[in-house]
Amino acid sequence: METLFDLKNVSYSYVGKINALKDVTLKINRGEQVSIIGSNGCGKSTLLAILDGLVYPTSGQFYAFGNLVNEDAFDAIADNEFRTYFRTKVGFVFQNSDVQLFCPTVYEEIAFGPLQLNLSAEEVRSRVEDVLEMMQIAKLRDRSPHTLSGGEKKKVCIATVLVNNPDVLLLDEPSAGLDPRTQLWLVDLLVELGRAGKTVITATHDLEIIDQISKRAIIMGEDHQVKMDHDSKSVLSNYELLLSANLVHEHTHLHGKMVHEHLHFHGKAHEHHFDKDKN
Amino acid sequence: MIPNWMNQADVQPCHCSTVSHGKKGFVGKTIDGILGFLDEAFLSETFSRRPGLLQSLDPRAKLVSILALIFATSLIGDLRVLVFIYALTLLLSYQSKINIGFFVKRVWLFIPIFAGIIALPMIFNIFLPGDPLYIVAYLGAGAHLGPFSLPDSIFITRQGTMAAIIFTVRVAACVSAVVLLFLTTPQQILFKSLRTVGVPKIYVLTLQMAYRYIFLLMDMVREMYVAKKARTIRSRGIMDDQKWVGGRIGYTLVRSLSMSEKVHMAMMSRGFSGEVHIMQEFKMTNRDYLYGALAISISLVLVMISQNIIRV
Repeated sequence: METLFDLKNVSYSYVGKINALKDVTLKINRGEQVSIIGSNGCGKSTLLAILDGLVYPTSGQFYAFGNLVNEDAFDAIADNEFRTYFRTKVGFVFQNSDVQLFCPTVYEEIAFGPLQLNLSAEEVRSRVEDVLEMMQIAKLRDRSPHTLSGGEKKKVCIATVLVNNPDVLLLDEPSAGLDPRTQLWLVDLLVELGRAGKTVITATHDLEIIDQISKRAIIMGEDHQVKMDHDSKSVLSNYELLLSANLVHEHTHLHGKMVHEHLHFHGKAHEHHFDKDKN
Repeated sequence: MIPNWMNQADVQPCHCSTVSHGKKGFVGKTIDGILGFLDEAFLSETFSRRPGLLQSLDPRAKLVSILALIFATSLIGDLRVLVFIYALTLLLSYQSKINIGFFVKRVWLFIPIFAGIIALPMIFNIFLPGDPLYIVAYLGAGAHLGPFSLPDSIFITRQGTMAAIIFTVRVAACVSAVVLLFLTTPQQILFKSLRTVGVPKIYVLTLQMAYRYIFLLMDMVREMYVAKKARTIRSRGIMDDQKWVGGRIGYTLVRSLSMSEKVHMAMMSRGFSGEVHIMQEFKMTNRDYLYGALAISISLVLVMISQNIIRV
């Protein structure tokens, strides 16, 4: 399988002092569905920003589609072929929907991307209509993005990215703040995109959706390094690892796909399902 | 669920390569500037936590001392005394574990802008008559510029140059004192100590909140730019970028107004009724009184020198 993203000893620090990533080396192949999991502040969002060529490693190299991604090529005013190719092929759904939406109406917001792809007006219209229908947001078409609810904004953000039909989809905490029904709908969408051959990379700490949306899981530790990179099932069954990465609490229990917590009383020993499961 | 055109992935390898090297766009440069500011603010905060002389003093004693020193410096007309005060600020910066190079750069970065523009005309005989030091141009008798008559020749005067140097060094000494105060005191504590010089509580609270939200809004602006970058496939013209910036300025204003309403509601829900209560945690020690008295004494001596009560 062709390697799309290749990170070699990548580190990143904010204002030269606050570490966000430390010595990360990993490869992502075409058509893979990968979850990046870790507690708050472990560097998931920074890793996604590097994968989207939005920030550049403080040290180490990042190669995408076989080319070195650096500031010279990606931040210059002049167009270059590779940047255009990269931006066409890779879509990024931000954690904060508000920053991603900048057009006066939802319709224009969704049309912004395809208009840059040199598609005919008819094709743009048809794509926008398809995506509005797929995301079930057709009724919001003339609304201004800042008047939408959190869940609606998230759907519009996903629509603005999918309308370009990227082959690689980067999602930062896509299920955060969504109601249970919309979360399920999102999982179905990501599964279907995966089946269509898209590369889907999702940063999340929602353990319940991981083995549904991805076959591979990368755990980021609180030391900003990759703690484990393995198939989702074995990562999720490694309770000790999840505990050490601060992804579960000692009263959190995993039963296959189910994650739940028990009420506990201080001063009374708590019987762990996990211990039982192990036995 | 997904439409047919989305139901396929392009599996052809990329045949293009990274070639372009060029200038950054104006939006990118502005964002770099914002990050530079955040960087500097972060660095300033680290200075304020170092175990130095000024950091160890009570912020109120420090604020009053620095204000007294600035007041006295503004009255001094003797260049030697001004140089002494400037050297004193350098010594204090050394004693406070602030990198001298950083400190000097930070002060002199603004001097040419603020003081230089005011002081520059002073050196010419057109504005201040005096003895010639260097003749710039000979105009001849009866020269005039519009309704204004000009002297026979334009020259730099000895007295004007001296006045400009004195003015610039005075500004440098005062700015150095203020920069020292900012670098050695965490912002929140500095704002709080303003209460001691009679600044009303509501202004102090407003300053504290404004400072905090500058960072929040800057972060928002940076994120907006990054999000746009992620969705920009081809470079757009400068006009398009300007339109985008205009739209974003409007949006940031709308966001900040709505945020201010929400913050106000959050404050009300926690018991705010218009009367501000600020926790005063400062404690003056004998050492603070000693340093405060020393600074005020030096300032008094400087005032006496300026009034020729003490001759140097």
